[in-house]
Parts: sequence; C-alpha cells; structure tokens
Amino acid sequence: MLVLARKVGQSIVISDNIEVLVIEVRGDQVRLGIDAPKSIPVHRKELLEQIKAENMKAAAEADTVSNAVAENAQQ
Amino acid sequence: MKVATTRFGLVEVDDLSIIKMLRGPIGFEEHVNYCLIQHRPEARFRWMQSLDDPALAFVVADPSEFLLDYDVDLSEADAQALRLQKAEDAQVLTIISVSDGGKEITANLAAPIVINSKELIAMQVVLQDNRYSVSHPIVVRKARGNAQPEQDRAAQVRAA
Repeated sequence: MLVLARKVGQSIVISDNIEVLVIEVRGDQVRLGIDAPKSIPVHRKELLEQIKAENMKAAAEADTVSNAVAENAQQ
Repeated sequence: MKVATTRFGLVEVDDLSIIKMLRGPIGFEEHVNYCLIQHRPEARFRWMQSLDDPALAFVVADPSEFLLDYDVDLSEADAQALRLQKAEDAQVLTIISVSDGGKEITANLAAPIVINSKELIAMQVVLQDNRYSVSHPIVVRKARGNAQPEQDRAAQVRAA
C-alpha cells in the first residue's frame, strides 16, 4: 500500500481524472472531497461490507426467509 | 433451457426471460444469470434463482408492495450502465432477509436490484441515500384481495 502524508488543502491525483482533497481534519475524523468522473462509483467501504454480509445472509438463510414470508402472510 | 435448482428441481426457463446482471450481487459477483420464480403461497414475493449455481437463490420483492415512500435515485453512471432510457423501463426488486432468527423480515433498501425490463440486464445498485438501511424491517400482512386463482396456485414453478 502506498502511504502519503497530506495536509489540509492538499490533494492526491489518481490516474488523470480522480482527485482526492483533504478538506478538514478534526480529531480522528478526516473530511475528504472526491472529484471523479460520474462513471466511477465512490462508496464508503463499510456500506459495501454491510451489503455483502446482508447478501450472504439472505442467500444462506433463503429457506428461513421463504418460510417467514409464508407464515407472516397467513396472519 | 432447462436449469437445475436445488429447491425447485429442473426448471424450464424461457431464454427470453433470463436476467443478465452486469455484475452479480455484491459478494456473488461471478453469479450473473438469473430467472425469477413465483414464490408460493405469497405471490408478492419471488425467487431470484441463479442459473449458474443450483443452490443460490434470493427471495426478492417489489418494495412498493410494502413501502410508500421509497425512491430509487439512480446515479447517472448506473442508469447508463443499465442502458435505461425511461424510468418506466426500470423494475426495482429488493432482496429479502430475516433477522432475529426469522422473527423479523427485512428488505435491503440500501442496495436494490434494478432491472432494465426491456433488455433484461440488471445490477445491484448502491444508493447514496443514507436514509436506507440494508435491513429495513417490513410488515408482511396478507394483502387484501390477494387470493390467488386456484389455477395459479396449482401451477408449477414457473419463470416470471
């Protein structure tokens, strides 16, 4: 992994069309500004991990889901 | 084509109803071919069955059956990737899961499956809207007038 030190107001450029700017540092939180083409998806990693975990669970427990749906619909 | 599935046995799938995902659901990226199978007895739900893995299927539902104010704000990039010209061509399905050992039924609103119903290409999109959770509890009450015609109920598993 490439590690770079940046100050507030400084940025890094990835390829020729993505720029990541350090906007603010407050305590353990960093605010970043990301300038990228609309075709490049930018997401918080933990959201992608949550979605992956939820998909895995939905697939692994699909029969439980199916039964729960059927039972609830009867009520 | 005939497709082997662990839950439904051998299923006849019309080639014209095969949904091709541009990339499979997150965590299942390599599984890209699916068909929709009616869920019984609760017809508002469907199975999204993988054609690549007989054991892989998700229970899915149209979120508008349960939620009044759910908006999918598709990014330009996603709309372009799905070659969506008109909003009417987009069919939205959410993956259904359970929490609390099956006591609570949840829908993944943060990452719905969006299908271009004209071209049958699809993608699990990640919405930027932080109001939407990956496990939003839904209430499945018996829909009024939801009684299925006898013929339908007796019908074998069929691809939607």
